[in-house]
Amino acid sequence: MLVDLYSKKIFNMSYQFAGSFQEAQDLTQDIFVKLHHALSKYDFGRNFTVWFLTLAKNHLIDEYRRTKWEKKQRDDFDEHIQSAAAADDPERGLVEEENRKMLWRGLNDLPNDMRMAIILKELQGKTYEEVAEILTLPVGTVKSRINRGRLQLAKILRNRKENAHDL
Amino acid sequence: MTCDKIEDLLAAYADAELGPDEWAAVERHLDACPDCAALLASLRTADASLSRFPEVEPPADLRETLYAIPARRRFRFGLDVLLRPSLQPAFAAAAVVLTLFTFYVFSPAKTQINKAINRQLHLGYSQVEKLYAKAGSLTDSLGGVADNVLVSLKKVNPLGKTDE
Repeated sequence: MLVDLYSKKIFNMSYQFAGSFQEAQDLTQDIFVKLHHALSKYDFGRNFTVWFLTLAKNHLIDEYRRTKWEKKQRDDFDEHIQSAAAADDPERGLVEEENRKMLWRGLNDLPNDMRMAIILKELQGKTYEEVAEILTLPVGTVKSRINRGRLQLAKILRNRKENAHDL
Repeated sequence: MTCDKIEDLLAAYADAELGPDEWAAVERHLDACPDCAALLASLRTADASLSRFPEVEPPADLRETLYAIPARRRFRFGLDVLLRPSLQPAFAAAAVVLTLFTFYVFSPAKTQINKAINRQLHLGYSQVEKLYAKAGSLTDSLGGVADNVLVSLKKVNPLGKTDE
């Protein structure tokens, strides 16, 4: 039941954060093992999705600190994302695909806390309030962090366009 | 307003979350600054791309692995097994043995301890030898008694008469 509801969401969150398809599989398994250990501690007064995403976020950040993913390259904008994009948006243009490639690589340039906030808000579709609860931060801090992340990604896109014009 | 200050407000401007005064100031700046206007265009493009970022389908076997996690956990050897009260005497005994062993290994009087142990072993060994010898002589005397009994029984006439 929980696997049906959350495996895709947790896998995508792990993939977007770590940038590696293989790593995302291992992380998803680890997160579900942690979930089974922690289920008895779940407070029924809390939103389960937010609670579970908090657990997932903690594991991803802990693993990031332990293994220092920033030293590794993200997977290329590979067939996994391209085929998913083709299914979602068959009429996408080359420009749109290029933008996605740049954003995918650009996620790696963001600090881990900013990357996590962007993933939760922009890619996982959570509200500012939910992101604040998952990150255990005030809403104002979360908004500021996400806005700075968006601006950094926008600069990456702008620089790419400028470089394309120069060529 | 400087470009740095406008950058700080640009995301809020794109989300239409600025007050009227700041909104007007950003509008004026954008009209006069092509760099900031280009950055706003890139911000909107990035936002649009992020909102349409596709979800990837997890590998087919991942779900099977995830379903198996509760069963795997059930058979997993956990540290809680070691905390069972029934194992506490064994842990206490192991601690005593380990303490004595450590005392023996690191004791400065190790030679004397070895001599004392040797002496006790020899004493025990000699006592065992004595006991074994005693047991041997007892067996011999029991054998002699048994022979005498057999000879006496042979001499006894079942009708109450002796051979003489």
